[in-house]
Amino acid sequence: MKQVYRVMAYLIALEVVVQAAVMVWGIAGLGIWVDDGGVVDKQTFEDAFDGGEAPFDEFAGLMIHGMNGMMIIPGLALLFVIVSFFAKVPKGVAFAFGVLGLVVLQVFLGLFGHEFAVLGGLHGVNAMLLFGVAVIAGVRASRSIKADRAAGVHERVAV
Amino acid sequence: MPRSGRARSLVAVAAAVLLLAPVAWMWWTSLLPDTYDVAEMGYADYGGGPRAGHDHHGGGVPVADLVEERRGPPDEEATLTVRTDGDRYTVNGTSPGPELRVTQGDLVEVTLVNEDVDEGTTLHWHGIDVPNAMDGVAGVTQDAVMPGDSFTYRFVPVRAGTYWYHAHQVSHEQVRRGVLGAVVVEPRKSRAAPIDPVAVLHRYGSTPTLNGREGRQEVDVQPGDEVRVRVVNTDNALMPIWVTGAPYRVLAVDGVDVHEPGEVSGVAVKLTAGARVDLGVVVPDGGARVDFGATTALVLGEDPGGDARAPREFVDFLSYGTPADPGVDLTRPDREFDYRIGRRPGFLDGRPGVWWTVNGHLFPDIPMYMVDEGDVAVFHIENESGESHPMHLHGHHALVLSRDGEPATGSPWWIDSLEVGTGETFDIALVADNPGIWMDHCHNLQHAAEGLVAHLMYSGVSSSFKVGDDTDNHPE
Repeated sequence: MKQVYRVMAYLIALEVVVQAAVMVWGIAGLGIWVDDGGVVDKQTFEDAFDGGEAPFDEFAGLMIHGMNGMMIIPGLALLFVIVSFFAKVPKGVAFAFGVLGLVVLQVFLGLFGHEFAVLGGLHGVNAMLLFGVAVIAGVRASRSIKADRAAGVHERVAV
Repeated sequence: MPRSGRARSLVAVAAAVLLLAPVAWMWWTSLLPDTYDVAEMGYADYGGGPRAGHDHHGGGVPVADLVEERRGPPDEEATLTVRTDGDRYTVNGTSPGPELRVTQGDLVEVTLVNEDVDEGTTLHWHGIDVPNAMDGVAGVTQDAVMPGDSFTYRFVPVRAGTYWYHAHQVSHEQVRRGVLGAVVVEPRKSRAAPIDPVAVLHRYGSTPTLNGREGRQEVDVQPGDEVRVRVVNTDNALMPIWVTGAPYRVLAVDGVDVHEPGEVSGVAVKLTAGARVDLGVVVPDGGARVDFGATTALVLGEDPGGDARAPREFVDFLSYGTPADPGVDLTRPDREFDYRIGRRPGFLDGRPGVWWTVNGHLFPDIPMYMVDEGDVAVFHIENESGESHPMHLHGHHALVLSRDGEPATGSPWWIDSLEVGTGETFDIALVADNPGIWMDHCHNLQHAAEGLVAHLMYSGVSSSFKVGDDTDNHPE
């Protein structure tokens, strides 16, 4: 279970990296589209998000960011907490709840960044925090696994 | 103190169950029944008014009976045939469908024929306050019209103005794909042949069009001509529109004339999704151009040239025009309702996501606004959802009283479609003078499909139709 915990911690960290990458990829595409004389208005966004009629390919980055961030990452964070109950990583539950809390905060900062842009800025800062906490959780699990091996303890596969 | 492995596992399982149980419960309770009656949906909100007469289990007039009272042969007749064309729809072979021009006060009869739309279709008369059974909402005011079937709408448009028709069955798909067209109700006492071109704005795929065509189009007019441009926004998002080369007036909003509209220039009008404005332009020597965003334009006479440059300032209808008697006393409301729009994570019919809420609740656990005929009802609309919402009320026009606490000081501002920006609040008032069950929803039709739909329900009215997967009716 510690291995599962470790993999999930790093997976969530990787997801944060994916989120940053697809967002900038999408915005870069938007810049190129506008620079080429393309017009973007509210309806363009509605069509692209809801109707799947993207004006440029990189718009997919913004879509992936939204779906990943609002569905997949919260789901992973919830699973991560459940795994932590079984993983016996020292302070593993606390770190998992830390990750879940930062994910929830991240979703709200993202959504309310649509109303107050400054919250969008904090969304960027919180991403770093989330990444850091997820990586530390993964590193701690690795250490715990090594310590177990040194002590000759073998994790039972079944619970 | 180390616990035994078994005890620890039990604690872990219990913790996991504790965490998952509320999520599973939320998922379970979000599932919609296969068939349901919108009148039984959510919870009744009486807005501080009496409950008498609101026993909707006790019968009452069925929605299906709320038809046009005037009998006899119609003054004007039309047939609109909806058919599929690839991944689009057409009405009588084109999209937008034919422009219907009728006269105020005439009995209008329109027969909708569904040629081959498998999921069925309907027509809703957006902005025309028709009798409830003629409103065209599948599962609420009629059953969806299936392929090979037809449905006849009969109504008397009381108010002159610019309106439109569109499907209200799977509307988030069918409207986008073309089941729509303009309706112009001409005033009974019309002055000599006005020049009043219609401008239907719609995006097919990602292509912006004006009356179904891309780019700029010309209207053959002479300098000095007075032109009334009737603009209809059939899309899901607001569109800034303005006039290049001449000053203009906003003659009407949502089919209601503005009282003493002032001349403006260098400013734009934010045209809400589903809303209409009539712009008045006196064509100058060099011609004028009505720009719809930076996408399409209607050229009046000569093209004044230049790029479409969006003004940074906008006409504010809260203070536009001059005050006048609105014709009804709305100062002592019988009921006051909250319509607070928010957003939170949860499940919508089992689907996880971040969904719209009304007064903190997710669809379908949202208020049913209950009124008696003759009531004056005030709605306090508030948007804390992070996105703007073009709110549309069926069957009624409402008067805007204030925005963000600032009272309206201009012409009476009557709306059927109102853009409520994020962080904004509006107080609007209406007279409950059209019995039935009426949708009150977001006209960003994708948002409606995501649950931003409430209803206004009259006492003494009972539902006649049902919605859900086991029926053919899917109004959103």
